[in-house]
Amino acid sequence: MKRNGLVFIALCVIIIGMVVSGKYLNRVRGRNRVVAGDVRGKVAPDFELTSLDGKRVKLSDYRGKAVLLNFWATWCSPCKVEMPWFVDLQKKYGNDGLVVLGVAMDDSDSAKIAQFASEMGVNYPVLLGTDKVSEEYGNVEFLPTSFYIDREGKFVGKGVGLLARSEIEGNIQKALASHVVGLSEAAESPADKAAGQQVTAQ
Amino acid sequence: MIRRCAFVVLAAMLALSLSAQEPGRVVPSIKFAPVGRVQLKPGESKNVELDFRIANEFHVNSHKPHSELLIPTSLNIPVSQMFKAKTSVGVASVQYPAGEDMSFPFAPDEKLSVYSGDFSITAVVKASPEATVGDYPISGELRFQACDRSACYPPRAIPVKFTVSVTGK
Repeated sequence: MKRNGLVFIALCVIIIGMVVSGKYLNRVRGRNRVVAGDVRGKVAPDFELTSLDGKRVKLSDYRGKAVLLNFWATWCSPCKVEMPWFVDLQKKYGNDGLVVLGVAMDDSDSAKIAQFASEMGVNYPVLLGTDKVSEEYGNVEFLPTSFYIDREGKFVGKGVGLLARSEIEGNIQKALASHVVGLSEAAESPADKAAGQQVTAQ
Repeated sequence: MIRRCAFVVLAAMLALSLSAQEPGRVVPSIKFAPVGRVQLKPGESKNVELDFRIANEFHVNSHKPHSELLIPTSLNIPVSQMFKAKTSVGVASVQYPAGEDMSFPFAPDEKLSVYSGDFSITAVVKASPEATVGDYPISGELRFQACDRSACYPPRAIPVKFTVSVTGK
């Protein structure tokens, strides 16, 4: 009986140890990652991804802009609902400094993704997602997932699953409301020009 | 004592899995009901019902979704376990149920062909006339892509295993 009690206590200690060490390892590995839950105020991890037209695009290229980073996939039906809204919102707020960036999490080839994006009338850059960027953004498992990043590169919001258009627009307005000290909004970076070309080309 | 330990382990596993999830979101799951040993005589074939249960609130695409962009549910059996002329025992064919046409809040005007709740896939297993007596494990996977009412989840696969026993004539 006494032996059983000791085994029980030992088992509890082992399990608590596993939980604590697992959490510690997650924290150490995830210093540059977004953890699940509230991300507001944290700096968005920089990334470098390839766009559908073969360019290397970094999040930091858009410093000074408000960024809506939308993870989606061609097989995700709710994602299709948001895309026309993003097209409208990019048109409405593009001149105010909004950049929508789509991150396609498909396994399929880029030609299929490009065809889908074209059929949806997408007027913003679409980047080819990787497991690494998904991991850096807290393991994006649910699609659509959108991150709203202000002009300083900090999160102002996150939306998981299909949100109401008004909620998306509210988050965009929060991201646009921020200002970067010492960076002229009028200054046009190479990324601005690339985004502008993509918008006007389609 | 064993029951107390098992409870502690289960509680810890549940706590760990919940802490890893997005708050307020549950990862979709499909459960495969175990299949008893399938008995066949040499030269016979038999339909094996493989029963699956999709967790509440989720649906998966049927085997024939209405759009080629959607990922169909499919039972993948390795070629080595498919019945061929030289195979003793294997899966000769797979029959899928028809999907149910449903619309969802994210696309109320669109009908998607889906499975939800319980569904069964039939695997037709066959033993050649020359099959020798013994056990033949069949081991494949069910690949699916699930969504709920507002979000979709990456494609996943779960193992599907059963054993075919060839008995004497």
